[in-house]
Amino acid sequence: MISPEVRVEGWDQHSWTLLMGLFAPGVVERMRTAERAEDDPSPDGAPERTREGALVIVVDSREQVLAAFHTSRGRADELDDAGDPEALAERFGARRVLIVREGALEELVERIALRLRPDDDYATQWLTLLRALRELTAAGRIRIWPTPKKSVPIPSPATLKRALDLLLPDGRAIVFGLWHAQELATAVVLRRRAGAIDLVAGPDLLREWAGPLGGDFRRDYRVLVDAVTRSVAPVHLGVFAEAESLRRLLRRPEAGAWAAAAATRDLVIHPMPPYLAVALGADVANSAARGAAALLGGVDLLRAFRPLLGYVRSRVSEVASLTATLGFNPLDALAQNLRQRDEPDEP
Amino acid sequence: MSRAGNTAKKRRVRLEGGVLRVGDDEQPLYSGAMHYFRLRPERWRAGLVALKDLGLEMVETYVPWSVHERERGKLDFGQGDPRLDLGRFLDMAAEEGLRAFVRPGPHINAELTDFGLPRFVLEDKAVQARSPRQNPVILSFPPRMFPVPSYASDTYHRLVGGWFDAVAEVVKPRLYPDGNVVLLQVDNEATGFFRDGPFGQDYHPDAVALYRRFLLARHGDLEALGRAHGEPYASVDDVVPPTEFRPGRQALTQLLDWAAFREHLMEHALGRMRRRMSRAGLSGVPVVHNLPLGDGGQAASVPALEKTVSLVGFDYYHAAREHRTIKRRTLALAGSSKLAYAPEMGAGAPPWFTPLSHEDSLYCAQVACAYGLRGFNLYMTVDRDRWYGAPIDAMGRPRPEARAWKAFFAFLTRTRFFELERKAEVALVIPREYRRLARISHTLGPISPSTLEAIGASPVDACRRDTYGFSEPIQLRYWHMLASFARALTAAGIPYLAIDSDAPPKRFEGYAVVYSPTWELADDERLAALDAAANSGARLVIGPRLPEVDSRGRATDWSAPAGTLVLDAGGDDEVTECVAQLDQELGLAHPFRAHPTPVETSVHDDADGPRVLFVINPSRRAQRASVVLPRPMRLRDALSLTALDAGATLELDLPGQSCRIFELESRPRARRTSTRPEASANQGESKAKESAS
Repeated sequence: MISPEVRVEGWDQHSWTLLMGLFAPGVVERMRTAERAEDDPSPDGAPERTREGALVIVVDSREQVLAAFHTSRGRADELDDAGDPEALAERFGARRVLIVREGALEELVERIALRLRPDDDYATQWLTLLRALRELTAAGRIRIWPTPKKSVPIPSPATLKRALDLLLPDGRAIVFGLWHAQELATAVVLRRRAGAIDLVAGPDLLREWAGPLGGDFRRDYRVLVDAVTRSVAPVHLGVFAEAESLRRLLRRPEAGAWAAAAATRDLVIHPMPPYLAVALGADVANSAARGAAALLGGVDLLRAFRPLLGYVRSRVSEVASLTATLGFNPLDALAQNLRQRDEPDEP
Repeated sequence: MSRAGNTAKKRRVRLEGGVLRVGDDEQPLYSGAMHYFRLRPERWRAGLVALKDLGLEMVETYVPWSVHERERGKLDFGQGDPRLDLGRFLDMAAEEGLRAFVRPGPHINAELTDFGLPRFVLEDKAVQARSPRQNPVILSFPPRMFPVPSYASDTYHRLVGGWFDAVAEVVKPRLYPDGNVVLLQVDNEATGFFRDGPFGQDYHPDAVALYRRFLLARHGDLEALGRAHGEPYASVDDVVPPTEFRPGRQALTQLLDWAAFREHLMEHALGRMRRRMSRAGLSGVPVVHNLPLGDGGQAASVPALEKTVSLVGFDYYHAAREHRTIKRRTLALAGSSKLAYAPEMGAGAPPWFTPLSHEDSLYCAQVACAYGLRGFNLYMTVDRDRWYGAPIDAMGRPRPEARAWKAFFAFLTRTRFFELERKAEVALVIPREYRRLARISHTLGPISPSTLEAIGASPVDACRRDTYGFSEPIQLRYWHMLASFARALTAAGIPYLAIDSDAPPKRFEGYAVVYSPTWELADDERLAALDAAANSGARLVIGPRLPEVDSRGRATDWSAPAGTLVLDAGGDDEVTECVAQLDQELGLAHPFRAHPTPVETSVHDDADGPRVLFVINPSRRAQRASVVLPRPMRLRDALSLTALDAGATLELDLPGQSCRIFELESRPRARRTSTRPEASANQGESKAKESAS
């Protein structure tokens, strides 16, 4: 699913950081977080208090704690008993806790080494790793807090491939283009070829393919879609918006948010694949049920989406539900994760 | 020297005085990375021209084995794919007046799949490094996990030899003086492919054989080895490497032997590769090597590796928030290596690293130079696949960020920064045996000490608390005591360096104060280094315990030189008092002292005295800084070239995490001048306040 020859190119530091800030804000936050106390150069020597990314790791034997430390604040030699991981998180002000029985990580890498096959791609390799990790967590040799949901199954490579077939069929491309101050500020183009994603391209390349842009995403998106179709592959999904609009949308789980944004052209989705049409159609229906006019300042969503709903009705039998395929709703999971990261860290 | 000798010298490239001597010419070690194999040949020239326009005179490139030999025995150096025409690329660089720094691996990383090693090499079981259970050792780097090779494998070295022969066919005719190649690198970041946990690898049969030979040389003979290990070995075949931690003093010797062997393995392998490079014809120019982030926890020693290669440097990929790490690494490199050099100074980063901004990259380079870095390769200078943020894009067009780099290179060249000196009267000696003790005490297995350090923790964070029968857990305390001394010196405005204890004895001479933490465990090599320091006039500071036994389990017969200060408990307060006492007794220099904390300065001298001043605000908060000058002087901002006249003090508004660099145009005569605030207080109220520029 990920080609070993995958090309990843076309960003400068600004456009890459902006992209990361949208989809992985915790990573960008770490850029701004001060180092641990002993390295902290602030006059009072106090580490800047943050739980973002902070992790407490405890290694124990059956009898005792061998080592314990907080990734931002250093060792915790006062800890004698690992005990309850949630209590540890509270005590040390950490967002996550990892308790490892001595030798468990060595066991993990031995199991992975035994199971990997030379032809496995990176996604399959990671699934192997996750399964081995789950075995060790099930055996109590590795404890992770917050505890991963047991109800979320680790998909098989075949399941993952089916999901990818829905999201990005072979020989097609996906484009995200995000604007700021009337400029294409960041973008990502994904292409799937011979079953695997083989190109991840950024705004530098997109500009090269498209030539000069006008500065309004509502008009420029067609130029970009044509350029990607010409230079990369036919576009399966294109999402275009102001960067800030997308940032807000990624963190809003309520029904109707995406549909409303599409209806008011805060977001342009073009082309729109069937699975997204289904998702947005459901979004519209939910919104309508709750009173579209009240929610959306008078926008008649049903009218706006009437052609779309017709399309959805005609295609719904063709598309499998992504949620049913994976066993969980990946968009819900993403929104939940992003919301958590945006919460203030300290009371 | 005879005429023949002179001629031979002119035909060689050598490292001398902080630069490469290329015949009669000098070539500062500033270069820019550009990967020919990732760019279409029609874009090469634009990239090379833009690189030269930054002020660089040397282009660097890796030569990727897996790309040139996609199928075993079918080598392509441009015959099939024009992007692989290394010879044409080097010739084009020469046409543009650029010298070349070539890095043929075999391991290169470069964010290439399998780190640039061909599949037919990695899939050969005779090549693969082994885990304690004889499984392959897997590195989980994107875009594919792969089994790493064993640095001891004879099969691997034989295949590497074939690769060097192939590279030499292209590069040898282009080595100076026939061509523009003036610098080579052997391998890359030789620390076991980041799988350098204490018992993660290498149990390959060839490694085990090497281990046995190493032990016999280390202990003298089998009987002495058996005594040290508490095992009556009948044959050397009875000696097996430890595969996990074992408690107790007797086991400690075996574990420390294993830790020492892991360093030896890399030294041995690099030496073997370098000799094979020479045999292929890749010789006559210096050969360097680079160590990655996390050097505090690595099984690698800069001075030991410099016995096999010309120069060992560090790679730098740091955010501005990692100021202390940049400083600590650079001071250790400046103290331990022949020349503080960075084969990779990050400009941008791979997409799978924590993002780095342009400001981070520039701050990192400036702070590293502030603390003594004398040369670096800007990696990447021209953008490419699996990278973002180089100052020149993949089409060869300078990005806005290029302006700042150009100004910085202009400053480095204009001031001949490579030959300046940062004076330090205090040296901290980093005990190699304690580093080894920390590594074998590590509890997180494959998440190795160096990995922990590279991701922002400390290499001793996951060490077990055992005391091994000593008075304290040395593996924890040594790191914190060194940090405590460093903090106290920084707070007092006293410049210092750090030296690896296995550096050559001469490296320890000429300091006023030398500190090295000691407990009951201490190796003879370090104690000899301390003696060398004391004999050259240094005041030694050791403690909190006196040495009794060495890593091989032998009693130590060492007496501290007269006048040595022995710390009592080594707490922060005691260390601060100790620094204050030494400062008062010895009148240590505090050049260009800055206020308030945490603003730091670093001064670089030429023969006439101070020449360049760095003023650094490492905190995130803006600071109004005051720098005490030894006398009124004219300063010039090294990047904006704005001049200002200053009296007794220089006042600056420093944004958070920023570095200002000044060229000192009116220089005092070369002599040690007290620059303490009280000394300058009588110089009146004359101050220069910089206008916003």
